[in-house]
Amino acid sequence: MSHAFFRSIFRVLPLLLALSPVNSSGCAMGNRTAEIRVKYENILSHDIDELVNMSAEYRDRCCKNKKHENSKVFFCNDTQEVGSLQTMACSMLRFFQKQKIGRELRRKAALVSCGTLQVLQCRCERLRKEKVCMQVNTYHREDTETGEQSKKKCNQEFCELKENISSLRSCWNKFEKIISR
Amino acid sequence: MAVPGTFLPPVLILLLLLLCGLGPWVECVFFNEEYMTCRWGSRETLAANYSLYYWYENRSPVVECKHYLQDQDINIGCHFNRSETVQFQPFRVLLNASLGGRTLEVHSKRMELQDLVKPEAPVNLTVRNMSGNQLQLTWSSPYSKAHCLEHSVKYKSNKDTSWTVGEHRANGDIFSLPSVDYEKFYTFYVRSKINGYCGSTQLWSEWSVPVVWGNNSTSKGTAEEQLRWFWIHTVLIPIASCLLLMVLVILLVRMERVWVILMPRIPNPIKNFDELFSTHNGNFQEWAGVPKDVVESFKPNYSENICYVSELPPKDSYEPLWEGSNHPPSVTPGSPAAPREHSPYKNSYLGV
Repeated sequence: MSHAFFRSIFRVLPLLLALSPVNSSGCAMGNRTAEIRVKYENILSHDIDELVNMSAEYRDRCCKNKKHENSKVFFCNDTQEVGSLQTMACSMLRFFQKQKIGRELRRKAALVSCGTLQVLQCRCERLRKEKVCMQVNTYHREDTETGEQSKKKCNQEFCELKENISSLRSCWNKFEKIISR
Repeated sequence: MAVPGTFLPPVLILLLLLLCGLGPWVECVFFNEEYMTCRWGSRETLAANYSLYYWYENRSPVVECKHYLQDQDINIGCHFNRSETVQFQPFRVLLNASLGGRTLEVHSKRMELQDLVKPEAPVNLTVRNMSGNQLQLTWSSPYSKAHCLEHSVKYKSNKDTSWTVGEHRANGDIFSLPSVDYEKFYTFYVRSKINGYCGSTQLWSEWSVPVVWGNNSTSKGTAEEQLRWFWIHTVLIPIASCLLLMVLVILLVRMERVWVILMPRIPNPIKNFDELFSTHNGNFQEWAGVPKDVVESFKPNYSENICYVSELPPKDSYEPLWEGSNHPPSVTPGSPAAPREHSPYKNSYLGV
């Protein structure tokens, strides 16, 4: 009888691991592909386009031939699109506190990150995303003068953010292509 | 006389062209996600020995192109099979140009293949009549993921001079034209592009094969009618206008009566006075036709002698010249003399 007990225990655990959501440990995507698609197409994709256009207004000469330390952020792995989006969104939230980057760009990037995490219902492991997302909604617009000045300064943090934005958009394109078959 | 060393090496020329934006530059197009071509020019660009290398960042080693596209033995592009393409991965290309023993490297910017997709043109265009004078246009796309496409429809009728072009992200491959005229003849074209949800590209497909709808007989008559109108507008009317103008000019020149009516003479006043001097010798009353008794009435019927009037010069001694006066006037120096009663004209004889 005892061997049957141990066999049953040891079967269940691997089974549980096999049946666990493949996409991510911090996301509750479930069977919500239609809902995710609607939210992405109607809301999030436009915010992402605005963010890309906004980042294009900044000088990026110092970004050429820059190798990034955290290369994990910029991959949209096959069959792991949700997990990749979660990683990218949580990584992009870090830039909200980077003072060297223009406020409006930081705010918009955080908005897109929070939107991504909300649509996919993901959490961030190291960052309290709820706290940051609350701050994003109550943030005030900066005046035009300081915004224009920050656009002229190129720095490595901006380069990383730009890379992050490009990867996030690309990964969403890939995810949309997959879920809309 | 040419100085040795002043001619630039060909590779430097290539570099110079590159810096000016005229040199070889790699452009890649992913046709319907089936195959891709990367081109860098034709034989008209600087003839050199080109070779292309590509890789996907952090994913694959650098590989040389396996299928070159050539133009008269010069490599001008590279063909990639589907198996050699990976979307949503940063893709880079290195072009080597060898000329005169020297090599120039041209690095492309980072690309992602989903942003280079050019879908095939839509096919099977079909037009249906709907209620309320509506037309419904449908089509199908050879591209496998139709939900990733947006479409553009252009159409016009035989009465329109320009095309109406619209872009829309259709839910399905359907386009509705709200109201149509059954007397007209319509032509429709459709093309497609990857939409913003699935990529970021500006590459539209080619326009589809057209589909037509409307009254077929008008289409045949339209060409004849247009030809007829062409002859009328460009030949007949100008010739008729010229002929009419010529007839009018001839009439004006030949028929003085018409000319006088159109261009009346301005009267010359000198002719009216010509008779005054030539016939009547300047006698205005005679020329004007004044009656003789009126002329005579102006003539005076009395005679009058001319009266000569002169002033007597003042004398040196003072002599009273008045009569009947016992008191001689007192004369003070400087005071004007009292007016005399005796008028110096008394001695004059006035003819009555």
